[in-house]
Amino acid sequence: MKPADLQKMSLLAKLALCAWALAGLIAQASAWGFSYGDQTGNNQACLSCHGKTGEVPKGTFIDPQRFTQTAHASLGCEACHATVPATHPDGNKVPKADCRDCHSGISEEYAKGLHAAKTACNGCHNPHLVQNPKDVSGQEINMICSNCHNGLEMTAKHGEWLPQSELHLRMLPCITCHTGAKDYYISMYIVKSKGDSRFGKQEVAEYADLKAIAGGRPIVSLIDTNRDNYVSLEELRVFNRTQKSLHLYGMMTPSTVSHKFEILDSRRNCSFCHTSGSGLMQTSFIAVPEADGTFLRVPVEKGAVLDALYAAPDFYMMGSTKNAKLNQIGLAIICCGLIMPVGHGFVRFLTRKNRKEKEHQS
Amino acid sequence: MSEKTRIYLQPWPIRIWHWINASGIIILILSGAQIRFPETLSIFSSYKSAIEVHNTAGIIVSISFSFWFFYYKMVKNTLDKLYIPDEEDIKHGLVRQLLYYCFWYFLGRPSPYHATPDHKFNPMQKSAYLAVMFVLMPLVGLTGILLLNVTPLRVLVLMWGGIKFIVALHFLLACSLLAFLCTHVYLATLGDYIKPMLIGWEEVEEHEEPEKAPEVAIPGYRPVRHYPEYEQMLLEQRHN
Ligand code: HEC
Ligand code: HEC
Ligand code: HEC
Ligand code: HEC
Ligand code: HEC
Ligand code: HEC
Ligand code: HEM
Repeated sequence: MKPADLQKMSLLAKLALCAWALAGLIAQASAWGFSYGDQTGNNQACLSCHGKTGEVPKGTFIDPQRFTQTAHASLGCEACHATVPATHPDGNKVPKADCRDCHSGISEEYAKGLHAAKTACNGCHNPHLVQNPKDVSGQEINMICSNCHNGLEMTAKHGEWLPQSELHLRMLPCITCHTGAKDYYISMYIVKSKGDSRFGKQEVAEYADLKAIAGGRPIVSLIDTNRDNYVSLEELRVFNRTQKSLHLYGMMTPSTVSHKFEILDSRRNCSFCHTSGSGLMQTSFIAVPEADGTFLRVPVEKGAVLDALYAAPDFYMMGSTKNAKLNQIGLAIICCGLIMPVGHGFVRFLTRKNRKEKEHQS
Repeated sequence: MSEKTRIYLQPWPIRIWHWINASGIIILILSGAQIRFPETLSIFSSYKSAIEVHNTAGIIVSISFSFWFFYYKMVKNTLDKLYIPDEEDIKHGLVRQLLYYCFWYFLGRPSPYHATPDHKFNPMQKSAYLAVMFVLMPLVGLTGILLLNVTPLRVLVLMWGGIKFIVALHFLLACSLLAFLCTHVYLATLGDYIKPMLIGWEEVEEHEEPEKAPEVAIPGYRPVRHYPEYEQMLLEQRHN
């Protein structure tokens, strides 16, 4: 590297630091009632071209609506593309920041994992569409991975040791097994039957579809009927009984996203997930799609996935979401089966003489 | 001692079926229990092996069930006659058999019913086997097949009321089968049932053989209609 380059780098890093500090301020500001969108006047200059499909080549188009919703919008284009020459656009490269400048912690962690050699941050993240894990549904996380890891191939590869691998890969975000985490929650998302029949092919419900079903009201009100930003078991039951074409699918998702991608031997042991009692299955959220492509996360009353039938009828994890009441009914049935051997057997023992006598008679 | 004759009661395909079925179901119950209660049971070395055993046994039992149905229905053509209780069974037979198990047996009286190849089961056996073989077994098999193919058969799963409902049904049916099993095995120890199921033949004391007393027997006779009369009949036979 040339000294000039180095100088440029360090300048960039300083700039980035400043930007980060600024971001902190802005984040504070947004807590006071501003939104990121208000603070991004400095994006406007670049977006006047890059926000319009007609003005720039397809690959350099940036959707202004979605970009302004991201945490990166508050930084401004120049924080990452420092010193865009006045002659731009002239076909020359524009400088681009390194994620490491601002996300040093995650970058270090990522560098330690086995994935670091395979791809850089931009393999999984578009810097202009970054999302908070809270706003992402588990199902969407898998779409990130499936950009490079073909679904069928993965099903076959995991099927070598994982029973029902197709089901597993559909119901689990890859990162549940490929990153470590202390805690997990169940992330539920809405799927819709094709053609509105109850039994059509199931697909993840799109914002527009749900909007139509909600009929002008916000989508959340389909489930959270009293709009208190909390879904009670009762509300879930009503949803499951009345919305004939909608179903809730659940995914077991890590509560914090770590970036040390690894192959964890503990995940080969089915009991890591298929045991009860750890309280693992108690926390759940519903991810409701929003207009900007992110998801609104609505907390759900405890016990939803353990409920016998109606709260989450399409989510079941063997061994871990069994219902205690059903166990008791099962036990009662088995006890009925013991009436004959125990009750009859006892009287049979007491009266054994009678049968001996008869035998002698004949 | 009186002469003994032998009746060929259980044809070999049925015997093979029965013991495959019995061992299959016991394995299913054990592995199933571990799958549902992994934290308390570890009968098979790991959760995964419990699941693999359960899946394999489930498929074997389903196939052997289909075979059983095919054999009785198509080859022997005796399914309906053997397993569906008739009017007489419902009116008198059930009560009589129940009285036998609850009282007369303890008093040392013989069973009011005697098995022949065409009428193998007493009215209570008939009703119990009818429920087990025509309701419990098919349902437990079908729910099991759905659980084995949740993704490919998603639509069917939803049609049945969602995976939770299917799991609950499968579990409760399995408990019912276990309850049946306990009763079934116990009742088998009450009479000479186990030997025919092992070797096919039942030994009958000469004088008890139904053919010997056709004139006493009521037409369509499955040894007795009214229990006290049977006693009477035996007495008469002995005096002759
Ligand atoms: C957080 C830092 C960051 C911000 C803020 C940012 N960019 Fe980028 N941008 C990057 C990075 C990194 C790349 C290189 C991506 C790659 O190589 O895949 C890039 C690439 C680009 C490209 C090339 C096309 C592409 O997607 O690879 C364009 C055009 C662009 N940015 C425009 C903008 C505009 C306009 C803004 C402001 C509205 C902006 N960027 C804001 C980091 C940023
Ligand atoms: C007058 C319209 C216009 C404006 C304003 C504009 N750009 Fe561009 N930009 C273009 C066009 C056209 C291209 C594609 C041709 C090229 O690469 O020069 C481009 C390409 C780019 C690229 C990709 C080049 C590369 O390195 O791969 C980046 C990054 C970029 N612009 C960033 C910016 C940033 C940041 C701003 C705001 C400071 C900005 N642009 C303002 C029109 C514009
Ligand atoms: C100039 C500093 C800077 C650079 C460079 C930068 N980021 Fe960020 N990034 C931030 C800030 C500030 C936030 C918001 C702070 C927070 O929530 O932690 C953020 C948040 C994120 C988020 C979470 C979004 C959210 O809503 O919580 C992701 C994902 C992300 N960045 C990815 C990247 C990637 C990938 C790159 C490299 C292409 C990158 N960042 C480069 C400053 C930067
Ligand atoms: C193999 C894919 C992958 C790679 C590579 C990757 N990430 Fe991520 N990252 C994810 C996923 C998945 C999430 C969670 C979903 C989301 O927020 O988009 C995430 C989330 C994040 C977040 C938000 C974390 C939080 O808890 O708020 C940041 C910041 C981030 N990544 C930065 C980076 C940086 C920096 C790099 C490069 C060193 C990187 N990521 C590389 C997959 C990846
Ligand atoms: C940009 C492409 C890309 C994306 C996106 C991506 N990977 Fe990878 N990943 C690779 C490549 C390339 C390899 C190495 C080739 C292989 O083993 O298939 C790899 C390998 C792996 C390996 C095995 C590593 C080893 O040493 O065998 C795991 C585990 C993995 N990826 C997990 C993930 C997960 C989880 C995600 C989503 C969060 C993801 N990957 C997203 C490109 C990607
Ligand atoms: C149930 C936990 C689990 C889930 C879910 C899971 N993996 Fe894996 N994965 C593993 C384990 C364990 C291994 C190591 C298997 C081995 O050594 O053969 C592995 C291996 C891999 C490999 C390396 C395969 C090879 O040998 O080349 C890749 C790539 C991978 N996983 C990607 C993914 C992706 C992408 C997803 C999401 C679609 C995913 N995994 C979901 C547990 C999981
Ligand atoms: C839950 C699993 C079982 C089922 C579903 C089952 C079902 C049946 C059925 C349908 C019959 C009648 C067979 C015929 O058509 O001739 C039968 C007979 C018999 N079974 Fe089982 N059985 C099971 C387990 C067992 C076990 C474990 C034993 C013994 C240890 C046993 C002992 C017998 C005996 C001795 C007979 C012959 C007596 C009779 O015909 O009633 N069974 N069983």
